[in-house]
Amino acid sequence: MRPFKHLNVENIRECVSLLQEHNGRAKVIAGGTDLLGVLKGEILPESPELLINIKGIPDLNSIREQKGELKIGALAKLSDIAKSSLVQERYRALAESARAIATPVIRDMATLGGNLCQETRCWYYRYPHVAGGRILCYRKGGTRCWAVTGDNRYHAIMGGEKCFSSCPSDTAVALTALGARISIIGPEGDRIVPVTDFFTPRGNILDTNEIVTGIQVSAPPAETRQSFIKFSLRKPVDFAVVSVASAVSTRDDICTGVAIALGAVAPFPMRATAAEKILIGNPLNEESIRAAAAATVIGAKPLSMNAYKVELVKTLTQRVLTQTPL
Amino acid sequence: MINSHSSNTHKNGVMVMKEKNIKAGRKAKGSGDRNKGSGVNPSAGYISMTINGESRELMIGKDVQPWHTLAYTIRETLGYTGTKIGCDQGACGACMVLINGKPVLSCMTLTVECDGKSITTIEGLEDRETGKPHPVQQAFIDHTAFQCGFCTPGIIISTKALLDENPSPSEQEIKEALAGHYCRCISHYHVLNAVKDVIRKSEVK
Amino acid sequence: MSTEYRFIGKAVPRKDARDITTGRAKYINDISVPHMLYGKVLRSPHPHANIRSINTSKAKALSGVKAVLTYRDVPDWKVGNPLHLRVLGSKMRFVGDSVALVAAETEEIACAALELIDVDYEVLPAVYDVEKAIEKGAPQLYDIYPNNIMPQIAPFMGDNILQNIIMGDTEAGVKEADVVAEGTYEYNNIPNPLPPEPPGAVAEWEGPDTVHLWISSQGPYFDRLTLYYMLGRKVNVKVTACQCGGSYGSKGNSSPIYLQAILLAKAAGRPVKLCLNKQEHLTAFTLRLGSRIRGKVGMKKDGTVTAISGDWFVNTGYFSMITQGQVAVGLGEAQLAIRCKNWDLKSKTICTNRNASGWIRGFGGQEFISALFLLLARAMQKANIDPFEFFKKNFVKNGDRNIWRDGHWWTSKVIDFTKAMDKGAEVFDWHNKWRGWLKPTSISGTKRTGVGVGVIGNADVGEDVSESLIRIDPTHHAMIYTSVCEQGTGQRSSLCKMAAEVLQIPPERIYLAPQDPGISPYEFGSVGSRGTYAMGAGIIKAAEDAKRQLFELAAPLLEASPDSLETRDGLIFIKGKPEESIPWRTAMGVTRTIFGYGRHEADYSLCNMLMSFVEVEVDTETGKVDLLRVVNATDIGQIIDPPSLENQLNGCIGSAGIDSAIFEETILDESNGRMLAANLIDYKWRTFADLPRIKNVIVETPFPSHRFGAVGVGEITTAPGPSAVLMAISNAIGQRVVEYPATPDKILKALGRIKESSA
Repeated sequence: MRPFKHLNVENIRECVSLLQEHNGRAKVIAGGTDLLGVLKGEILPESPELLINIKGIPDLNSIREQKGELKIGALAKLSDIAKSSLVQERYRALAESARAIATPVIRDMATLGGNLCQETRCWYYRYPHVAGGRILCYRKGGTRCWAVTGDNRYHAIMGGEKCFSSCPSDTAVALTALGARISIIGPEGDRIVPVTDFFTPRGNILDTNEIVTGIQVSAPPAETRQSFIKFSLRKPVDFAVVSVASAVSTRDDICTGVAIALGAVAPFPMRATAAEKILIGNPLNEESIRAAAAATVIGAKPLSMNAYKVELVKTLTQRVLTQTPL
Repeated sequence: MINSHSSNTHKNGVMVMKEKNIKAGRKAKGSGDRNKGSGVNPSAGYISMTINGESRELMIGKDVQPWHTLAYTIRETLGYTGTKIGCDQGACGACMVLINGKPVLSCMTLTVECDGKSITTIEGLEDRETGKPHPVQQAFIDHTAFQCGFCTPGIIISTKALLDENPSPSEQEIKEALAGHYCRCISHYHVLNAVKDVIRKSEVK
Repeated sequence: MSTEYRFIGKAVPRKDARDITTGRAKYINDISVPHMLYGKVLRSPHPHANIRSINTSKAKALSGVKAVLTYRDVPDWKVGNPLHLRVLGSKMRFVGDSVALVAAETEEIACAALELIDVDYEVLPAVYDVEKAIEKGAPQLYDIYPNNIMPQIAPFMGDNILQNIIMGDTEAGVKEADVVAEGTYEYNNIPNPLPPEPPGAVAEWEGPDTVHLWISSQGPYFDRLTLYYMLGRKVNVKVTACQCGGSYGSKGNSSPIYLQAILLAKAAGRPVKLCLNKQEHLTAFTLRLGSRIRGKVGMKKDGTVTAISGDWFVNTGYFSMITQGQVAVGLGEAQLAIRCKNWDLKSKTICTNRNASGWIRGFGGQEFISALFLLLARAMQKANIDPFEFFKKNFVKNGDRNIWRDGHWWTSKVIDFTKAMDKGAEVFDWHNKWRGWLKPTSISGTKRTGVGVGVIGNADVGEDVSESLIRIDPTHHAMIYTSVCEQGTGQRSSLCKMAAEVLQIPPERIYLAPQDPGISPYEFGSVGSRGTYAMGAGIIKAAEDAKRQLFELAAPLLEASPDSLETRDGLIFIKGKPEESIPWRTAMGVTRTIFGYGRHEADYSLCNMLMSFVEVEVDTETGKVDLLRVVNATDIGQIIDPPSLENQLNGCIGSAGIDSAIFEETILDESNGRMLAANLIDYKWRTFADLPRIKNVIVETPFPSHRFGAVGVGEITTAPGPSAVLMAISNAIGQRVVEYPATPDKILKALGRIKESSA
């Protein structure tokens, strides 16, 4: 890695102040499982001059429910989220998504904030500098997307706009199905943003000197059935090729509420609103589920090599709604 | 006064750490309250850690740089080359060590964040007095649970951590715990036999 | 069979077990010498380009930089077969090619120096496809190789190496066939064997003409020998082989790295460590050959193959380390697997603008049969022949004549392998699971299972020369001097066991001199499954020689002829009279040691065999393939070390083997020449959590020409799997899948579930 300074901070204010002082030349380090990989690969033209270690900030890793709302701090470890009985019982999709990430030792190091803010896995974006020079693309301030004319088997089938990479965060998919909100703090103060507004085609809406501090989720109705399903070539290690999260409430077999979120099909998790419309107010049966699954991909525009993802989205949607394992 | 750990110069647009400019910093007082505090540059001072039972003090800017990974420090600065660097990006498990008894990928850990920690590497497992291998090491020897051996230290460390926390894991739990270890010779089957053997023997006791 | 031996066939802890499990074993990146510098390589961003100008002055001026080298600064040292690739050139032939070298005090400084080298490139068009590369007007990689076709030679394999199989009359063969299949089949996903340890070297000059090189290798003696020639016979290269963190053949292609380290050390006047990182390992180090067959095969309904003809296009990437040799072995192995009297099969080794292919476990055989067997499967399907019966019928039999890699006819002296094959089929339950071509074994919901089978044999088990020295001491200890290197097979320990059996002293009393070819005699290397047979023969002969000398000293003291003597646990006695014995030290005297010498000469008359049965499950909705079960069947004559053998057979799912049919591939973007799966998440490998059930069926029918009746098998364990997996997948889903790897997109496409994209 290229040389940098390193500072520990004890509170968020210090962190924001340092970010502001270095104005884009400093980066926050939590678990480091994504950041250090990015720095080692030298995939970005600029290298931070300072890493700000936020792991010492107290109370930023809590997982608790307050007044009908789940609040998780950005520093909460993925393994703690996966193992938390609170999350498992009442926010199951989130627990399952955290459990599906990487490997146990990475889950013990990685944080929720990091999982949400991690860089894309697009292999053009990630091309290591040592192997013949990093690749510049729209996301890095360049002028093209290499995936569109190249190997785009893992890239977006919808929502792409200049950049066609897929969002790698599994927790973001579950949080989208749960209607979560993300807390952000910066020099201008703090703000709360729905998770569906957090991601953009080229990253996320954080300003240069802002950081994520946590997430909040309103408790879903007691009868809600939640599920998260992730398709990848290997069970551990791999990022999702396609994932789907769902939260469905029924009464007398009629669907009273549904949220379906699609992962790794777009630069951000997508709510499958067309599919949701088919289900809401209707019985949840084989026919309606099949129709909903077909509707998830309305408007999908696969690239030259990822049309198979369209099939996978439909299949996974069916399975997540019928709770059939892969 | 603790001096700045370096005078960074920029040569041709590149930041260069000049090790020679470092002056001796006085030892900071108290464990744990070094490297904290707003405004103070905690990259000055020392990182104290215990490694395989021995305390070491690393001077930041001289013995360790902020960008050094724990894997690098363990191997290059402290000479414990038993911990391997495979992918250097946390995806192969070769660099696994124990920090305060928990398995951690040392290539994805910055040494400057290890102040006050107790590190165990593969070299620290055998009985210090008798030289007898740790039961996990002995089982790997007995079952030839390795071929080229490069992934072996990392797997042994993870196994020890697993069994310390859960002395009777199921086969599925063993496989999940070891899933991040890249073994290309395919010693997996013998590894599983070795781990089960350790469990069996400890149950008999 | 193993009951007649004291040590052979019994599990004994490996000699290096303690070192490995305690972290004491030293691998190349663990080596540190005083004043050592770190070397880094500036790599080309273009797949094909000339350097118009290169300016290293800023890099040289950076504090801490001790050497910067470009093509202008280095001698005309070349690597490859024949020697054609300059250690540094002005022409770049793949993304990742070496532009310049830097040695500096730290890795960070070296990396910073790379950024300061200014290069102006003349970008040239690139070519990636083997058949496009040989077309008129294609971009030329080497002026000396028109049409990018490599010369069909490999000097160390002799003057007549096998590059085409031409015998009999294929036209007549086609006429007498009941079915004919024709088509183009590929094994072109160029997977990376990817040992856990990346390649590297440390070089230190010890004088104007002597350099000390630490390496990670399977064949340090051979490396030393080839370096001698590469360096113009002017430099004495002392080679120290470190513990090797996996190679599977690939580190035999490390010569460019060795030369670069040596040159940097010379220029800097200090030792230099040049170790690649994992990303360079994935994009700039040994891949499998690319393989394409346009062929035609004739077959009778009873499984007799009446003709095989066609062209085998071999893609070696930007240079050939020994590809032509792999072609020779591949063509030889095909004849062992398929008895056929009429062949007209021609190969071409072609270079293209991508990272190079090189020697890897499977050594051309895997790459060849992975394509060829798809063609044969088509014919088998047409003739409705059970593939197990086909392979059993067509595997080489004792007395068959075939042409081996050296271009000469050999009469195979082999055991009857059908015993092992039948046992494998029985354990796998092949006859119940096989339902016919393109028929699943079982269906359960969206999941279908299918089975497949493949076979390979290699007559290189006795290849090349091995020499051994053994020193026996009056204390009935022994020291083996061998340049055999430990890279995972446990071979060094197995050699101790063989010597122990001959000398009748426990293996614990046998030591190994350091794996230094400066001390030890000629050794071709631990490759090609030759360890047990060839290297074993060398050590057995050396031990026999030492024993003979010992008995000559003991004979007068026991008033007997040397032939009538025996030894056990350090005591010598007349056969049948163990109560009247003398210890070794009495026969030798304490001031004496005895050196025994043994040499194995190349013998290509015998071969090994591995048959792989695989069972897969395919989810027809997601296209996911799960490898459920593998049964490997082999006959290795006599097990030397049970756990080492099991480990090697289990290795069928490593080293870019079986999984190259399921998810392993190197992904080359032909629009810019970049290899995209450049990290260990994007390059797919099998984890602990995804292990298939493996059962290894090992039969022991002693091979008469080995002292212990044993033959090796480790090198071929990866070869039959890939084509067997595609067969199994095709049977499971009822559609032919012939592309490697069979990832979900390909399965779904074969099932007709993908509409063409609108993009």
